[in-house]
Amino acid sequence: MTVDQVVADIPNGSTVAIGGSSLSRKPMALIRALARSSVKDLRLIVDVGGPDVDLLIGTGSVSEVIYAFVGFEVLGLAPHFRRARQQQALRFEEWTEYTVMAGLDATIKRVPFLPTHAGLATDVLSVNTSFRRFKDPFHGEELVAVPALKPDVALIHVNYADAKGNGVILGDGHVDVLCAKAARRTYMSCERIISSDELQRYGRDVQILRVHTTGVVELPWGAHPTGCAPDYRADLRHLQDYLRYSANDDAWRAYADQYIYTDQSRYLERQGGVEALLARLKV
Amino acid sequence: MPLDERYALDEFLITTMARQFSGEVMVSSVTAFGALSALLAKARYAPDLAVLATPESGMEVTPMPTLSLGQFLTDAQRGIPLTMEEIFDAIFTDRFRIWINPAQIDRHGNTNISVIGDWHQPKVAMVGSRGIPEDTSHLSQIFYYVLTHSRRTVVEQVDFRSGAGTGPDRDATLGEHGAPSVLVTDLGVFDFTGPDGTMAVRSLHPGVTLEEVQEKSGFEIHAPSSIPVTEPPTEEDVQIIRDADPLEVRKLELLSGPEAAERFVSIYERERQALHAAWPRLGKLG
Repeated sequence: MTVDQVVADIPNGSTVAIGGSSLSRKPMALIRALARSSVKDLRLIVDVGGPDVDLLIGTGSVSEVIYAFVGFEVLGLAPHFRRARQQQALRFEEWTEYTVMAGLDATIKRVPFLPTHAGLATDVLSVNTSFRRFKDPFHGEELVAVPALKPDVALIHVNYADAKGNGVILGDGHVDVLCAKAARRTYMSCERIISSDELQRYGRDVQILRVHTTGVVELPWGAHPTGCAPDYRADLRHLQDYLRYSANDDAWRAYADQYIYTDQSRYLERQGGVEALLARLKV
Repeated sequence: MPLDERYALDEFLITTMARQFSGEVMVSSVTAFGALSALLAKARYAPDLAVLATPESGMEVTPMPTLSLGQFLTDAQRGIPLTMEEIFDAIFTDRFRIWINPAQIDRHGNTNISVIGDWHQPKVAMVGSRGIPEDTSHLSQIFYYVLTHSRRTVVEQVDFRSGAGTGPDRDATLGEHGAPSVLVTDLGVFDFTGPDGTMAVRSLHPGVTLEEVQEKSGFEIHAPSSIPVTEPPTEEDVQIIRDADPLEVRKLELLSGPEAAERFVSIYERERQALHAAWPRLGKLG
């Protein structure tokens, strides 16, 4: 598939689950393609979000975010997320790391909810009205019902994939497998497409199975500026630039013109080209 | 606290944190302080710890701190790969420990990393509660550290409860499941053995007075009549920390402003080289 075909499959108002975790293996090339399309009113589901959520909020593509975390880790807070939260510009629903997983898992298991203790005695239960407290029918224990999260689309980025849609993840797996299984349609970008024979050698690292995949796009450096272990580390210098460009509207328009409203090959040229990226980021 | 030439504040605190660990449990590395305390504990105080190189994977390898903590692996550094399901199963079965660095912690050990002000109308929207609700509803020991003990960080009541402390709400819903156990700050070590599960002084660091602690806290911390002094690190503790963190990523947590930015850039330029010196590539992958 091509990036444009993926984007064409994502209509306004879609619920999109995004894999990766903060600064690790985010499907950023797909995210940028989505951001420069005319698609609007996306409902995002992320477990641990970072530049993915922040960039889509920055381009006005989002109406709602379901999240356990959105931040830039060692670099600080996510600027557009923070501003939108403080201006109450979008709908936000704070979940937690396991409850996002449980919500996706409920959809996979085709049950309306899954029970947990997580969130009890915290304020997450007071601000998140999607959760329900209930007493278990066996012993009367107080529990939280986590409703099923039903993504229309999942976007993930992996190290290698075959053309049929099996995907190899070498670093931390994050929640990509759950996203891929729960979504109606899963689009996977990869650093490199390899043959199905070659893929066999990766054994248990073949974490994404083709029965769950709708399409595969080969996008080298497709997670940049987040990292894709052990191929390349996060580009913290670009992310620092991103934070500076996010300081005001004019600067943000300049960032968008230079890095979002362009295709992946020009995007890579504007990072100094692949050779420079390799020298700087290859692990 | 006054500095001693034999160790720096970060080394003092990391050692104090290391001494809280015990048993055969998984330890996640989400900050340099947390990673180094686990590593030191494994070497000196709790040899059975299963230390992870990243927040969620890489068991049984040495977690050399880098800026993108963990999510920067060489093929030789991967360790035993784990899934998120395995991480949460370890949390649910109480076989997991983590050091959490909250923005606020209160009298009852409730903690906040989500928001300053009202959640619906935030003064400062931070990051969201992440996995703290899971930790605090399942782990029998929850470790917190705060590097600047002040009325902004140690508060009467948190603005938002990301993590469940002690008190009637916990008693009614969680019963025996989980509880905050320790807070290490730059002034002392605290626990929640005061009246009704409130914060109490366990020890004060050398040169710190109870008056200073009360002055810098948003409420009066319960104090026993005799307060021990926190045991400083030994030479061996300090050496293990320095060897494990040649880039001194740990120092970043105590800095801010231009000094932090400068050190950040310098670490970023050197971290790949240092990691490769410690972990030569095997070349098996890709």
